[in-house]
Amino acid sequence: MLFFSFFKTLTNQTVTIELKNDIRIRGILKSVDQYLNIKLDDVEVLDLDKYPHLSSVKNMFIRGSVVRYVMLPRSEVDVGLLEDATRREAANQVGKAR
Amino acid sequence: MSFFGFNTTLPRDRDRGPSSRGFFENPDPFAEVARASGIEDDDAIDFEDTYDGLGDQLDDDQDEFNDDTFGGGGDTATGGAVGRDFDFFGRTAQVADAIGEEQIRYSLQNPRAAPAAQQEIHAPPQPAAEPTTKRTGYEKYSDPGYIPDLQAKSSVWGNLQKKPEPSPAMMPAMPSMPAPSRKMMSLEEVEAQLRNQGHSFGHMAPQSMPQMHDPSFMRHPQDFPTLPEGFPTNIPPEILRAQLEKGGLPPHMAHPPPGVQELTTSPPQNLPPQGPRHAGPPAQRQQPMPPPPSRGPNGGLPVITNPQQLVHLTEEQRQAYLMEDAKRAKRNHKIFLLSRGNGLMTPQDKNFITRIQLQQLVAAAGNVADSDPEAVLAEDFYYQVYSQIRGAPRQHPHQPLGHFAQTYLLQTGNRIGGHGNRRAFQSADNHMQRMQQQVQRAVEAAKAKPKNKQLIIEGSLGKISFSNAKAPKHMLNIKRPDSSEGVRPKKLQSDLSVGDRKSLLGNIEAVYNALMSMEDMERTMPPPPEEGDTEAIQEHMEWRQKVQSLNQKLWQALKVMEPIVPNSTTPHPFIAFLSYAKGKKAIPRIFRHIDQEQRVTILTMIVVHLDSLDVVRLAQASGPGDAQLPVAVREAIDLFSLAVMPSLLGYVNEAPFNIIIGLLGLVIAQTQVIGVARTKIGLGILTMLLSRAELVKEAGQASERDWQQWVEKFNVLFDMLEPGLAHIFPGSINSGDDMYVWQFLAAVGIGASPEQQQRLVIAVKDRVMETVGYSKTLPADMASQRLGNVNLFMRAIGLDVELLG
Repeated sequence: MLFFSFFKTLTNQTVTIELKNDIRIRGILKSVDQYLNIKLDDVEVLDLDKYPHLSSVKNMFIRGSVVRYVMLPRSEVDVGLLEDATRREAANQVGKAR
Repeated sequence: MSFFGFNTTLPRDRDRGPSSRGFFENPDPFAEVARASGIEDDDAIDFEDTYDGLGDQLDDDQDEFNDDTFGGGGDTATGGAVGRDFDFFGRTAQVADAIGEEQIRYSLQNPRAAPAAQQEIHAPPQPAAEPTTKRTGYEKYSDPGYIPDLQAKSSVWGNLQKKPEPSPAMMPAMPSMPAPSRKMMSLEEVEAQLRNQGHSFGHMAPQSMPQMHDPSFMRHPQDFPTLPEGFPTNIPPEILRAQLEKGGLPPHMAHPPPGVQELTTSPPQNLPPQGPRHAGPPAQRQQPMPPPPSRGPNGGLPVITNPQQLVHLTEEQRQAYLMEDAKRAKRNHKIFLLSRGNGLMTPQDKNFITRIQLQQLVAAAGNVADSDPEAVLAEDFYYQVYSQIRGAPRQHPHQPLGHFAQTYLLQTGNRIGGHGNRRAFQSADNHMQRMQQQVQRAVEAAKAKPKNKQLIIEGSLGKISFSNAKAPKHMLNIKRPDSSEGVRPKKLQSDLSVGDRKSLLGNIEAVYNALMSMEDMERTMPPPPEEGDTEAIQEHMEWRQKVQSLNQKLWQALKVMEPIVPNSTTPHPFIAFLSYAKGKKAIPRIFRHIDQEQRVTILTMIVVHLDSLDVVRLAQASGPGDAQLPVAVREAIDLFSLAVMPSLLGYVNEAPFNIIIGLLGLVIAQTQVIGVARTKIGLGILTMLLSRAELVKEAGQASERDWQQWVEKFNVLFDMLEPGLAHIFPGSINSGDDMYVWQFLAAVGIGASPEQQQRLVIAVKDRVMETVGYSKTLPADMASQRLGNVNLFMRAIGLDVELLG
């Protein structure tokens, strides 16, 4: 749930998503779910000349499993908190595995 | 189908073709549709093609059991031969009138928009046309508010009681008419009533009554596919109709072509629910979908009520007729295909599915009942805390999704309760209650569920893994070796002396874990106990004890108390701890959870090891004159001044004077003062101590003896510093950041004697002049900033840059 928890805080921020087929899309993160499916608004495809068929797409739903990277706005990430959240998650995992 | 398990269809009914067969006997209600489509190809329509010849199979011999069933003497009008003890029938017959009246009253209360005129068209018995206007028996259910009453209807039995031997010509009409019986209205009366009211179709369909016992039949009022589950069942038919028409009701159902309407009015214009999608398979069968011979051509053509008539039509008429019929058949077939799944699921099935979905939703989201902030925090830590810090995009941070599920449940309840009649309300209420209970039980079960995520059924090759959104299905199932848990801590301890990177990082993590558990403890702090409340005091004491033990754990993890090994090649574990960014960042949090004594210990450790502190050591290594330190070092220094220094300063500002004196003594004794003074952090710590001493003195808190001690130390320090004062500035004049140096000089200058101030000015005079000169070349704001920095020092010794002009 860490990543879900994390991405939830990025709603309404501009993110760039790189898919596993190399398409990079920049847009406003509208929502994300447990599977890290992503809804983007006001999308803009980088390298549009390569993917002209996407030129008229204004918003999209991206299945979580096809995402390679999500590039985040740095200022919106609380690194210290994220570190702690990661520690907690790790502790939870260990607790569950036992 | 019947109370008694018999086929209640009377033999005389069986010769009426499809409609008289059992409910589900016909596997393909649209066989005729297909046949009709085939007809499109060969022009001629053979009556034999469309007539299934069931009439030929009529077996009058099977009447024998009728009497047993109905208690009516087959031939006797008295009906007393068999059924004295057949109480049910007798009683029903006695209240038959009341039942009939009730029904009429009911239909009056539920007025339909069906024009009376239209009713008249098909209400009177038209024996010849009757095969097409077969009553489906579902008319009643077209009224969405209808609740089937399961009372036996006298009219059903009445037929037999009197048994007016129906003539073959009358037969088709019979089933749709309540047959005359002793205690009942005559046929004429009923007809008259129907004409007047023009409403109660169901009243005219005695045939349907026994069929009502079929459960699938009873749910029809709820089965409209376009309506959500639990749709209020008594909304006005007009609204329902509008909705249904929107929902893709076949146009000809709603508005049959004028010609057709006149002829084949079996689907009354304003009663859309009669369409196949609503009535379910039985209705599909009984509704004469496209029996070609019975349909009339377009308006103006002769009415075709008999297949024979078709033969006499002109070629053109027949063509037109067939065209239209084929079109309709095609459409009907489409509807049939679409509606194939209708009625497959009972409302119970749908409820079941809904419950499962809700369970999923609730289980995935946490819980309806679980508003425990601890659990939420454990699962959703980052989001919860982040939104508390920065303001959440969501309104209810403590009710993330369980809230949503709950809202859903409540909404559904309201919607049903708001519109339903009492009965519907109650059942809906119960339903929602049951659903909520079930969801809660499911959630509890999920909580209590054993840990194993997989089920391997014996003898099977595959595994079934359980997953939910929180714990997705594992693609890999790796077994952790149990030993790893036991081995690791031992390793950590043995590696401590080695001090390799890995064990250091492990130490840092241990510190963080201790910190986090302490912070958790802080949240669970019990309210301060009141006087005399022993339980609360006890609780508080326990809590304090826990905090204390955690504090010890943290202290151990910090390893501040590890013995100092002089001239050791490996740094002290705590200093090594501070050499990592993570370690530096931990300091402010650590300081919040330790007492003053522990703080002074940490400060002492830092001061003693000032030389070996990475931010000092690495900054010295670059040597004087090097304007630029490596980026990593600069970052480390910045982080140290941001994270560690404020904590230290916070302590020093409260520290007793003797500790300050002691610390200054340590600096002098343990470190290379000149080297330390060339670094930002070293200067910072010195500044800290000097300025604190000055504040103590000005506040008059210092005893004479302490002050003497301090002045001694200060003099030693000043003497040590003096040779290096020219080199404490970072880089050349145009490298901006030298404020901390001026701050340090100011701190020295305040505490210095006039003679020392003199020496100080001489040592840094060049830099002062350079800076003043340089600032003249700078833009105004930067210049004033630089001059301001210099002025910090100048004012400390009673001068001002303005004097330098």
